Amino acid sequence: MEIYEVFRQEREGAPMQHSGNLLAPDPELASHYAREFYGRRQESVRLWIVPRAAIRDLDDPDLLQPPLDRSFKKPVGYSADIKRKLAAARTRLQEQP
Amino acid sequence: MNDSARAQPFYRHVASGGKVEMGEWMPDDYRQAVRRFIEMHANSELMGVLPEREWILRAPTLKRKLALTAKVQDEVGHAQLLYRVAEDLGKPREAMLADLLAGKTKFHNVFHYPTRTWADVGVIAWLVDAAAIVAQQALRESSYAPYARTMKKICWEESVHIMHGRDVVLTLVNGTSKQREMVQEALDRWWGPLMQMHGPPTHPAKDRDLAWRIKNKDNDTLRQEFLSTYVPRIREIGLHLPDPELRQDPDTGRWHYTEPDWKELYSVVTGHGPRSRERLEFRRLNYEETRWVRETILSEPKVAA
Amino acid sequence: MSAPAPASATATAAAGALDEATRRALADLLLAMADDEFVIGFWDSEWTGIAPLLEEDVAFSSLAQDEIGHAQALYQLLAELDGGDPDGIAFGRGPQEYRHARLLDHPRTDWAFSIARRFLYDTADAARLDQLAASSYAPLAGLVAKMRREETYHLLHSAAWVERLALGGHEPRRRLEEALERLWPDALCVLAPLEGSERLVEAGVLAEPPHGAEQRWLGSLAPLMERLELPFPFRRAGQRLEPTITRPASPRGEHSASFEWLWGEFTSVQRSDPEASW
Repeated sequence: MEIYEVFRQEREGAPMQHSGNLLAPDPELASHYAREFYGRRQESVRLWIVPRAAIRDLDDPDLLQPPLDRSFKKPVGYSADIKRKLAAARTRLQEQP
Repeated sequence: MNDSARAQPFYRHVASGGKVEMGEWMPDDYRQAVRRFIEMHANSELMGVLPEREWILRAPTLKRKLALTAKVQDEVGHAQLLYRVAEDLGKPREAMLADLLAGKTKFHNVFHYPTRTWADVGVIAWLVDAAAIVAQQALRESSYAPYARTMKKICWEESVHIMHGRDVVLTLVNGTSKQREMVQEALDRWWGPLMQMHGPPTHPAKDRDLAWRIKNKDNDTLRQEFLSTYVPRIREIGLHLPDPELRQDPDTGRWHYTEPDWKELYSVVTGHGPRSRERLEFRRLNYEETRWVRETILSEPKVAA
Repeated sequence: MSAPAPASATATAAAGALDEATRRALADLLLAMADDEFVIGFWDSEWTGIAPLLEEDVAFSSLAQDEIGHAQALYQLLAELDGGDPDGIAFGRGPQEYRHARLLDHPRTDWAFSIARRFLYDTADAARLDQLAASSYAPLAGLVAKMRREETYHLLHSAAWVERLALGGHEPRRRLEEALERLWPDALCVLAPLEGSERLVEAGVLAEPPHGAEQRWLGSLAPLMERLELPFPFRRAGQRLEPTITRPASPRGEHSASFEWLWGEFTSVQRSDPEASW
């Protein structure tokens, strides 16, 4: 018996979301059971059934939340500066004869 | 950092609302406590199947038959989901089932009682499930995240059961006088176990499950919530509750009631309920009878010559 | 094939277009099919909560619910043809008035027996539904189209389990073989002709005579049964497969004590207060 993780899509275009896991002796039955647990109420339009062993888990904070400044990669790194410089540009225009 | 040094920050983390995932480090105490909590919940779903499944064959219309089969199917599904979560904490499912069948682990009181009539089916689906969902909604915020996520799915699925139960009860109260008597009689029998279901008041300081936010509300709070929502709904359709002391304080909103029989509760959950032995025996026999199937599934598939 | 016809107006029109003999024959067919689905749904629903594996419990319960759902839809068609309502027809007869095939008279017994019976029933039913897919009776053709889509899942499940039991070792194989041997004679009852079958073929309600469906059914099973070396009590006579076992004299009657017990259960609440609605 192997553990299979199940991802489901709630409606067309929606992202695949992790929903749970189940035990099954082979991939064929794993699909049957996934349908039962995550689709018997017509609540999903697609399922991905993946052996847990195939999933790589990454939760290293050094990689995912590195401590040094990364604001040059995010909107928040620009919004204050832009606001200030825009105000300065508008003021300069108003002061011209 | 050794385990005891890591434990303190961990307990601060969970006490302040922090979450824990499977595979992360956790103190043994916490792991044991959360696994036991979930195991009892899983056991209850599995044993809860038995009082109701008798009525699957006896459901009096096609719609009721479908609804009740689907409801019991959901309970089995919930047992599966919960055993999976508990298993990932380190105890194999077979071991949990063996302990349940040997009477070593517990399940909720209500599933130790008999069902006598079709009205019992309605009362259980409406009120027992309602009492359970009051507790289950609070568990959606459990510190153990896999359990919390499973509870969200379970709560969503349970909401249909309550509607089904309420529909059955309403049909009976709107029906013949025999049907009305049947449902009142069922309610009279189930009220005691229902009042005991959330358990005796516990001291927050002594309740580790509360301290570590495995659960987030104490037993008394849950019972008060249940009464506030459901007593008015029961009374508004003309049903009476068999407790003469049951009333709500107009100033505080707090419900007063005859103190439930905690001795009965203890006796029942330790396996001395009216149907405890019979149901465990039934499950034991059934588990033995079907052992050959599990062994077949676990053996390597053979290729045809 | 046109989209499934909605109930009421079109169904009444369709029913009205039939002559009396065809109408009777169709009513008999619908009752037989509905009772088949109803009774197998009941036996299989008994596994809910006590199946060998929790995951399989949930899966098997869905199969049982599908059957009851199909029964409900078929009783509905019958009610539109003949009057009455589905619950009245489903719950309102004495045990010997049910018209299910004898294959469904057996209790669920053990897992191998339930799987074997499902397998024989699902495959025979698939052959029966094939005959009706292009039925001139539009309401039935519409319903059959929907049922066949759900039955795909049933067939996959049955076949997978038969294979698993046949190849799973001594114990599962023994149980499966014994079950099949007991069930084969009664399995022939599903596609046994009804009194009005010829009439229905003439009217285009059925695409082919029942013996044609039986041959297709047996022909589709033969390779699998041979490959897995499972009991298959038929011999070749030219193009046809002939049974080496005796066909039961009364394919849809003389129901068993087990069915009478089941009837007692499923009518118990209704009988306790016949005027009540539930």
